[in-house]
Amino acid sequence: MAKKITIDPVTRIEGHLKIEVEIEGGKVKNAWSSGTMARGFEAMLIDKDPRDAPFVTSRFCGVCYSVHQLTSARALDSAFGAKVPWGGTLIRNLVMGAEYIYDHPLHFYQLSALDYIDIMAVANYKGKDKDLLAIKEKVVNLVKSNDTHPLTPRYKPDQFCVKDPEVVITAVKHYIDALKIHAQARNMGAIWGGRTPHYQNIVPGGVTSFPDINQVVRFRTMLDEQAKFINEVYIPDVLAFGTGPLWELAKMGLGGGHYNYLSYGAFEKDPEGKSLVFPAGVIVGLNPANIKVEPFDPQKITESVKFAWYKESKPVHPYQGEQVFDLDKKEAYSFVKAPRYDGKPMEVGPLARMLVAKNPQVLGLVKKGAKPGVVARHAARAIETKLIVDACYEWCDKLLSEMTKPGFKIHDTEHWEPPEKGMGAGFYEAPRGALGHWIEIKDKKIKNYQAVVPSTWNASPRDEKGVRGQYEESLIGVPVPDPENPINVVRVIRSFDPCLACAIHLIDPHTNEVRKFIIE
Amino acid sequence: MEAPSIKKGGEKKLPPKIVILGVGNLLLSDEGVGIHVVNELMKMSLPPEISVVEGGTDGFGLLNIITEADRLIVIDAVKGGSSPGAIYRFDLGEVRNCPSGFKTSVHQIGILEVLELSKLMGKKPQTTVIGIEPKSLEMGMELSPEVRSKIPRVIELILDILKVDTKH
Repeated sequence: MAKKITIDPVTRIEGHLKIEVEIEGGKVKNAWSSGTMARGFEAMLIDKDPRDAPFVTSRFCGVCYSVHQLTSARALDSAFGAKVPWGGTLIRNLVMGAEYIYDHPLHFYQLSALDYIDIMAVANYKGKDKDLLAIKEKVVNLVKSNDTHPLTPRYKPDQFCVKDPEVVITAVKHYIDALKIHAQARNMGAIWGGRTPHYQNIVPGGVTSFPDINQVVRFRTMLDEQAKFINEVYIPDVLAFGTGPLWELAKMGLGGGHYNYLSYGAFEKDPEGKSLVFPAGVIVGLNPANIKVEPFDPQKITESVKFAWYKESKPVHPYQGEQVFDLDKKEAYSFVKAPRYDGKPMEVGPLARMLVAKNPQVLGLVKKGAKPGVVARHAARAIETKLIVDACYEWCDKLLSEMTKPGFKIHDTEHWEPPEKGMGAGFYEAPRGALGHWIEIKDKKIKNYQAVVPSTWNASPRDEKGVRGQYEESLIGVPVPDPENPINVVRVIRSFDPCLACAIHLIDPHTNEVRKFIIE
Repeated sequence: MEAPSIKKGGEKKLPPKIVILGVGNLLLSDEGVGIHVVNELMKMSLPPEISVVEGGTDGFGLLNIITEADRLIVIDAVKGGSSPGAIYRFDLGEVRNCPSGFKTSVHQIGILEVLELSKLMGKKPQTTVIGIEPKSLEMGMELSPEVRSKIPRVIELILDILKVDTKH
């Protein structure tokens, strides 16, 4: 008999996600992914000045604000007919580069690492390293005072969890070092964005603030520190875990899914955007020995609402998309729609980008026997972080040289006024995957606006043909020997770095101590 | 405001850095009350050791702001079960992050979790939360009248805290 287990909410992700799996014979037989928070912020944009869109959409999500702002500005660039000058593109690249440098190591250490180590092994550390002993003391004291959050709650460590005290305590040290490095990375974006969070500088046509040399120097100085951590700590850790204790999981291809991959492309390497750090493309039914990448065609995107709580309609292109809720729909189980490319579910994110790019390092791991899945996803994320770090150095140099040229521009001021009517689409790669914004303008106002976010692709429910979304498919066959301890299920889900409707941020003090509050 | 005191030997003692952090989502009516409050504070002239920051709903991303503070005042919507517009004030430590701590906010990595992380970094600022009970969490950029009418009182409370904190 199949046994159904529900994980609600999945913790250590951004947003609210419920996963249900049916277990039979110690393996996942069927799976359902539900986004349990209603979205639909797009409705707020109707009848507004189109230039408000980058600022409002930046508030869709408290984490991915800069990429929403940028993708929205790109939709407006296309609707306004604006051509962003190279200087503006370089600054946009640096803002988003800082975002990746912040996001990816954080995902590995703070959101994922605890799935792969037995944190309590720290207590058995017998070495003499002063820093590590201090960490041991800190963790042991937290355990004694029963205050181990945020290192707990956790699932029971299984055979894949690293238990060697030396390795675990070093990982915990890196976890803490990473926190310091993230704090600095957040400030890097603010150099260009004016503040953090919710940058102020990205607008249709380019960016708003003219750079000076000091900004570039400050950015580079911080970049040096970030690069050191990424090259000397983050990437070696991911590769050491991936090819060491987790190699079994890598070979097993835990969490593979449909093996369809989509990248919209991002990060221009030249003023015309002919060459990108992350190329655009589509892979259907990956054959690792002979990877075929098709060109990306935006017209092939549709969204199905068959199993989502929206008014029934046929799958439509996002330009025709609507957000009319229907909470009584019997077969519906998610607020997430089901986007499809040419009718097929897609994985988006670092692994998709690196496979579409035919990245030699990722392909090298595949050649060695790693099947695309959880471990490959972590590896791809680390490998592409390095690509971005290297590109940031180049962009700093290019920006410095552009700044000295006469007539240096950061904005296409000729196209600042909204057109009477028009349509535009903006595509970009958020750290979590392909992000698209679509706008229709009428009488210089927004007539319709739609965003399809990366986690909509990955976390989608079934479509009108009953085909599972990528999370759902990637869970099929995942070993769950003990239904009380579905650690492999959360490993799979977290490897995608879910970010769902990061909207509400309320403090809910559900403790007895509520009575201590001073209330007036 | 007083000038930084000069110790013997001419060594300057910097005043502690105070950060007033408004958090919440501006698109969900009363959920964004913290942002509305700090936007008002930004219009006022405050001593230079006080920073006023709009935090949005970024959890981890606030680490840079939190770890740079010696003293932190967080303004947020708080569901405490009282009538809309009720004001709460508590010091951190009163709301304990119990093992179910991950449920304290719908946003999985909340402000309380980030404060716990700053503890691991050894840089946890003394923290006071001023909370306002929301009425509406519907989509919209306006506050409900019950909550909006309390903003002047919230600002008064913040200024009271600052008066105590900036007295050296």
